[in-house]
Amino acid sequence: MRRLLLILGNDIRRHLKSPMAVVIFLAIPLFMTGLIGLIFAPGEEESTLPRIAVVLVDRDQSIASKLLMGMFDADQLKKMFEVTVTDEAEGRRRMAKGRATAMIIVPEKFTVDLLDAKTTTLTVVKNPAEQFLPDVVEEFVNTIAVMLSGAIQAFSEEARGIRAMLDQPVESFPWDKLGPELGKAQKKVVAAQAYLNPLLVGIEAEEIKPASAKPKFTRTDLFSIMLPGMAIMFLLFIVQTLMRDIISDREDGKLRRMMTTPLRPMELIGARLVGGWAMGLIVLLVLVAAGTLIFRAYWGNLGSFLVLGAAASFWTAAFFGLFHALVRNRNQSGAISAPIILVFSLFGGSMMNPEAMPKAFKAIGVATPNRWFIDGAKLVREGHFPLVPLAVLFGSGVLLAALAVPALRRKTPV
Amino acid sequence: MPGKGVPTMLEIKNLTKSYGDVLALDRFSLDLKKGEVLGLLGPNGAGKTTLISILSGTLGDFTGTVNFLGRNIFADRSLKNRLGIVPQDMAFYDELNAMDNLLFWGGLYDVPRADLKKRAAELLDLVELSARAKEPVKNFSGGMKRRLNTAIGLLHKPDLLLLDEPTVGIDVQAKVSILDIIRGVGAAGTAVIFTTHQLAEVETTCSRVAIMDKGRILAQGTLEELVRIVGERDIVEIAGEFAAAAFSEAVQDLAGARIELLSAADGLASLAVADTEEIPKIMDQLFRRKLAVSDLKIKSPSLETVFLKLTGRSLRD
Repeated sequence: MRRLLLILGNDIRRHLKSPMAVVIFLAIPLFMTGLIGLIFAPGEEESTLPRIAVVLVDRDQSIASKLLMGMFDADQLKKMFEVTVTDEAEGRRRMAKGRATAMIIVPEKFTVDLLDAKTTTLTVVKNPAEQFLPDVVEEFVNTIAVMLSGAIQAFSEEARGIRAMLDQPVESFPWDKLGPELGKAQKKVVAAQAYLNPLLVGIEAEEIKPASAKPKFTRTDLFSIMLPGMAIMFLLFIVQTLMRDIISDREDGKLRRMMTTPLRPMELIGARLVGGWAMGLIVLLVLVAAGTLIFRAYWGNLGSFLVLGAAASFWTAAFFGLFHALVRNRNQSGAISAPIILVFSLFGGSMMNPEAMPKAFKAIGVATPNRWFIDGAKLVREGHFPLVPLAVLFGSGVLLAALAVPALRRKTPV
Repeated sequence: MPGKGVPTMLEIKNLTKSYGDVLALDRFSLDLKKGEVLGLLGPNGAGKTTLISILSGTLGDFTGTVNFLGRNIFADRSLKNRLGIVPQDMAFYDELNAMDNLLFWGGLYDVPRADLKKRAAELLDLVELSARAKEPVKNFSGGMKRRLNTAIGLLHKPDLLLLDEPTVGIDVQAKVSILDIIRGVGAAGTAVIFTTHQLAEVETTCSRVAIMDKGRILAQGTLEELVRIVGERDIVEIAGEFAAAAFSEAVQDLAGARIELLSAADGLASLAVADTEEIPKIMDQLFRRKLAVSDLKIKSPSLETVFLKLTGRSLRD
């Protein structure tokens, strides 16, 4: 055990003395995650939808149509809609060029018909080139229609009074009578306040998303999803680099010299496997810390994630232990290991979203540590314990170690 | 050379090792006493490195017995603490400094940590690397690395030190330093086996010489004892444009007590002659056979002559 720890300490000390390879392999995943995140992730702002460009065609040019246009000037709606008032021909041109989502046409005599309690129609022309935003406009106009219909029915008496005034010429408009008519309406509003207030609250409550809606996706979420994939890919690279000592010691005669000392082969093999595992875990810890500090990445329960990381690191150490028992020299190790890691990463989901991969890729990915680590990390993030990924990584790691130990023993001189 | 009563450290009996059809060691036997420095001379492929590998426990599948301090060297793992190895490879970590290397390699033996530090400092002094002790070994010259390689083998004060060509590829100064260390170690009571191609190194360093070829010891003894094998004869070295077979045939009739063909290669041959008066006879035979001679040297008997006589080839072949 003393010699095992001596070799372990010596290996760590040596790699810390020339840490460039480890530093590079640590920096690359962070750099790549940051780069991809900056390019593809949404920002942290509250608004997740673009403003909807709406064309308004006012053929009425009266009180109700002006009120309708005024509604779009309300603070919250201003954030949602960008309204341009123009004629129908210009509106259609704008939609054809993709500069408008929908066109709302207010018909002639809209105000008069409303006040006469006659049926009138607001027309919504939807841009067929857009998917769901025109529907948003249609829903919004529907809501306005319902509100206006309800309001006119509630204030029918006052509406008739105002309607009579509208028939008179502007120069003889009885402004002095408008005040009392509006006063009557105001009394109704005050009386109805008790009922309207809950209604207003109800409108506010519409901002709460229905249960079926997807939660808002942020850049932090993207980092949290990407980092485990990157982490396992570069964990493979780092552990491979560190465990290349097995073969360089053999080539340089250091293994032979070690075997002339009282050191037992199993102590050396144990030190190398434990060393690879420990270094992998340390590297993973650094990545977790850096990911949290730099990208505010969310890992879920850190304990569960580290258990998963320990299993992945163990798998990696056992795999590269076996790998270095089978390859002949350093050049072969370098030439073969890089493609293996890249294939693992491609099919295992480090390079693309596993859910968006073709079926064949997914089937191959099951044989990679990347896939199980990424799946496990997702489970931890979602608040579950990654039992199955953990069992697969640990179980196959034990199998690999069971193959690696005798293979390494055979490559150790007497 | 140690006298009678000096304990035997190493006894090798009938050690045989083959690689497929090639016999690397053929019933090899050797004894070594405490404080004895044995130079193992042999051409490439003679079996020197195979012998060192078996003794150091890194090569298996052989027959024969090896007792070290009266115990089977392969059965008693604790004996590894009393055996020092200086391999031909520079077997240490380049990225570490000299002191860290010594502490690591020494740590693999059962040397207490405090003693190890003291011993490492002593050895750095001995190999003249104290001033560079904290410098990464990768910055060292070839000679400095060889000295460090030697020092690692001495960390645990071994009773038997095996050195496999410890002076290969270094400058004269470093070579002299390493040979001094070997002599000093022997004088302190450690038994030493050191393999080399360099006759001069053996002549100046070893108390005993063994000449081996094709897995067997051809002759062994002190330098004087070995030279006596050739006898009080002069060595004639002839160079020219001739084939080995033609030369051998030409001098065949002269061979006897006074003229002995030691070696013949294409363009170069060596003969031992009882008297320089025999040389005209040799030249006469060569001229008759129309073998062109371009150079002729007369030498006194040396270890090289002995080697030539025993192996039929020079060490450079």
